[in-house]
Amino acid sequence: MTAKQLNKDIDKKTGEKKKLKELKALGFIIIVLFPVLSVFAIGGYGLIIWLIQVFGGVIPH
Amino acid sequence: MKWFKNLWQTLNTPAKYLTLGSISLTAFLMGIMFWGGFNTAIQATNTEEFCIGCHSMESKPYQELQKTVHWSNHSGVRATCPDCHVPHSWGRKIARKMEASSDVWGWFFKTVNTDEKFESKRLEMASREWGRFDRDDSLACKNCHNYDSMKWDDMSKLAQKQMKRAAEKDQSCVDCHKGIAHTLPDMGTARAPELIAEVGTGPSKFDDGEEYFTALTKPLFFSSNGDVEAGTLNVATKVKVLESKDNRVRIAIDGWRKKMGAGRVIYLEFGINMLTAQLTKDAAKTEGVINGFEEKEDDMTGLKWQRVETELWTDAEYLITEQQPLWDYARDTFRSSCSVCHTQPDEAHFDANTWPGMFQGMIAFVNMDQDTQALVQKYLQQHSSTFVKEKH
Repeated sequence: MTAKQLNKDIDKKTGEKKKLKELKALGFIIIVLFPVLSVFAIGGYGLIIWLIQVFGGVIPH
Repeated sequence: MKWFKNLWQTLNTPAKYLTLGSISLTAFLMGIMFWGGFNTAIQATNTEEFCIGCHSMESKPYQELQKTVHWSNHSGVRATCPDCHVPHSWGRKIARKMEASSDVWGWFFKTVNTDEKFESKRLEMASREWGRFDRDDSLACKNCHNYDSMKWDDMSKLAQKQMKRAAEKDQSCVDCHKGIAHTLPDMGTARAPELIAEVGTGPSKFDDGEEYFTALTKPLFFSSNGDVEAGTLNVATKVKVLESKDNRVRIAIDGWRKKMGAGRVIYLEFGINMLTAQLTKDAAKTEGVINGFEEKEDDMTGLKWQRVETELWTDAEYLITEQQPLWDYARDTFRSSCSVCHTQPDEAHFDANTWPGMFQGMIAFVNMDQDTQALVQKYLQQHSSTFVKEKH
């Protein structure tokens, strides 16, 4: 095996690793992180409306 | 922590192998799936099946609903639980869902899982629902029922009159129509239930020598076990407990009375017509019940007043430790009841002797039980210009 071929092989290997990492990160974000954040944000929004209504009357519909 | 650092590094550098197209496409698709899924989940919690999934909701409110016109009627339209109990606009619906998370608490700790527990909490729960309807003028009803679409001719004369008046001010439906979908809480036997729900029934044991306040108008007795009534003790009156015996307490009441007739009415202060207690003629005449002290003449009326102290028995209930909750309840009732028809005057606009006439003249227009009436009148007198000098 020539040195050139060897280099290419290593590149390919680290490339595969990097691609896997990116896929994992993307998966984590769209399946776990953003849904959880959204639920918290909407829940917080609901909580704020509820509190406003407790102290200051009904939000206009 | 290492995985987090790795993740952050990956997220913080431009993607080298994933294409911009594939990333944005997944983001777009996941966005649709999430939003759809979220709304489906919210929708699922907004169905009747979900509501009656709990035994306590299925066994009581749901069964009661089935006896009413909101369950079955000639037009075949029916109301489900969320139609009335969950706001329809998105923001308020989410707020209601957050609020309802406390119901999960109740479910977990079995707050209303039996018939007895449910009944004992019925008034509290109903009051909360009524409060919700009050706040938005029964919007939940008005999502279907519309004043403008009511056919007056089909109504009885009396109903027409009432409904037209309600329509004019877009009145809240549950002001009158309570207990139309579920059984009314037991309010016939209990007096001023909403007041008592607010201020409580008081402690079960009383400390001798301590001061308490009446939460209702209470009967007075001559002894700890006799049935003979000696008079009535007005609501929100300060008394001193002297001793406890046989489910009754002996209390000391001080005040002033007018030196005329039997002098059986005791007032709070000299010259002020604020009712403290009203004794029977027999009681007023019985030696030793009322002890008279110094006398003073009221220049305004020329009447002689006498300071008095009396000791009588009353049932050991509805005596609470603080007066403020009573005033708070009275203030809310005064403001909400009177503002239905007009801007209510400031409490300190009249003096303590003017308020009773003013108040009694208006009382026919509102639906207020005797105890609440007496309490509101006393509240107005106590917060009138006679006592609140700085205002007027």
